[in-house]
Amino acid sequence: MVEYTKTEFLIACASSHVRNGENVFGGTGMPLLAALLAKETHAPKANLISEAGFIDARPRAVPLSVADSRYYYGCSAAIGLIETLGFLLQGGRIDVGFLGAAQIDEYGNLNTSYIGPYEKPKVKLPGSGGGNDIASSAKRLIVMMSHDKRKFVKDLDYMTSPGHLEGPGSREKWSMVGGGPEVVITDWCQFDFDPTSKRIRLMSVHPGFSVDDIKENVMFDLMVPDDVPITKEPSQEQIDIMHRLDPKGIYLGKGGE
Amino acid sequence: MTEAEIEDKRITLAEAAKMVPDGAGIMWGGFGFQRAPVAFSHELVRQKKRDLTIYTCGSEIDLEIMAGAGVATRYEIAFSAIEALGLSYNIRRRVSEGVLQVEDYTNLAMAMRFLGGALNVPFMPLRSMMGTDMVRLSRYRGDDKLKVIDCPFTGDKICLVPSLQPDFSIVHVQRVDMSGNAQIDGIVGEDIEGSRCGKKLIVLAEELIDEDEVRHRPDQTKIPAMYVDHVVILPYIAHPMMCHDYYDYDLEHLMLFHKMSREEETWQEYLENYILGVENHYEYLNLIGWANLNKLRARKPWGY
Repeated sequence: MVEYTKTEFLIACASSHVRNGENVFGGTGMPLLAALLAKETHAPKANLISEAGFIDARPRAVPLSVADSRYYYGCSAAIGLIETLGFLLQGGRIDVGFLGAAQIDEYGNLNTSYIGPYEKPKVKLPGSGGGNDIASSAKRLIVMMSHDKRKFVKDLDYMTSPGHLEGPGSREKWSMVGGGPEVVITDWCQFDFDPTSKRIRLMSVHPGFSVDDIKENVMFDLMVPDDVPITKEPSQEQIDIMHRLDPKGIYLGKGGE
Repeated sequence: MTEAEIEDKRITLAEAAKMVPDGAGIMWGGFGFQRAPVAFSHELVRQKKRDLTIYTCGSEIDLEIMAGAGVATRYEIAFSAIEALGLSYNIRRRVSEGVLQVEDYTNLAMAMRFLGGALNVPFMPLRSMMGTDMVRLSRYRGDDKLKVIDCPFTGDKICLVPSLQPDFSIVHVQRVDMSGNAQIDGIVGEDIEGSRCGKKLIVLAEELIDEDEVRHRPDQTKIPAMYVDHVVILPYIAHPMMCHDYYDYDLEHLMLFHKMSREEETWQEYLENYILGVENHYEYLNLIGWANLNKLRARKPWGY
């Protein structure tokens, strides 16, 4: 039996959603490792892009920043932000984007800006960065979060990035370039979205978790299909590759987000 | 052809900061860990500037310094955190105290605002932010934060952001000649449009090069001298952040900074020790230690 941490499971799971040949916004942290793992396994032709301006990147050491020089050597072009977020992303050329969030609602809308009321915030979070741009314009969005009931809310404190907004037709109303969130991956389970209602729906539970565990740990009524499979475990090969990519455990060593 | 006399635009860091009056607006260059004008933020703090408005996408430690020291009271930005380390505690505290106001945009929105300013048009359209609280809520710009309209050509919804032509653009580059032709290695981030939108442009550079070198490889010039008002040349301007082909980030110092910024008391200690307690940038570098700095020198072909 393969032994793995929650973080390793999350990364392996996310990596399986990257398809060969896709243009992927990698960022840093767990999403970056997921994209790199995909490139090393089933998607060698995935084109890894960093919003700071690096295109077709093959970093030999894990970058700490989207602008880290570790992204530079071996990439095929190093340009800038209008290139990546403008020409590529807004131009409709990015297949997959990854985002994390402090809060998510049942339509996959995300908060990365404030906890507490906007007028007098309790905590100022990092904000959008390129997050809203990616959520608006990437063809598909993959959300990665540590599972905590307080993060799966009925009403966001602040909506930073658009998911499916108020439901069917919402994204079309605002002429959005991208398709919105496709999958939400936590260290407990995977969600997808009901094609009709655009509401979040349980997709699979990770080994050791039950459907009830998940239902009790979101703050809205969760759609649950009749058949909920167990998520596929990572292989030893995937774990080994992850640790080769991040030998110092910069991202693998840290749990959660 | 007669040899034209080359204008020498070099000034000191202290002279450059002196030009910035209280209440000024500044486009702030660099992106993430790359080419952050940290030395300039130190000097603004030492000169006790007040009420500055900073416009940028995602600067990190420099925004923390200016918020923590009370130099800046308004930020129009997309992102505040120290990537891979965590939240920006100074900004978080100043926001909770109500002494720092942050108007939230996205990275693309800020880059478009600089591009609009550089192009001398009043606004730029983009396809982000619509449908979210970024449209509905404003900290202080009110109706002037952005507008969502029906496109007059297609009828589709489109978001308009106001262009920026702030008092200054501050951009950090690798090399410059004394007339201001500036070369950037690696990614440019938002600095192409950012350098061209300010009413005055001050270029900070790691190294002075000859005009001959510029003219030998003119494609390397990312900011032609005609845009540049002043040039400041100093080593390790971005420390503890990185400068591609010159030096890596100083992770140990970054972690120290992040730890000390966590509480007000330890932040005041950092401020006193590393910024207010030194006379100038060289004293800061002496304090960091040249042996430490040499260890950060970039190696070929990696650039870090």
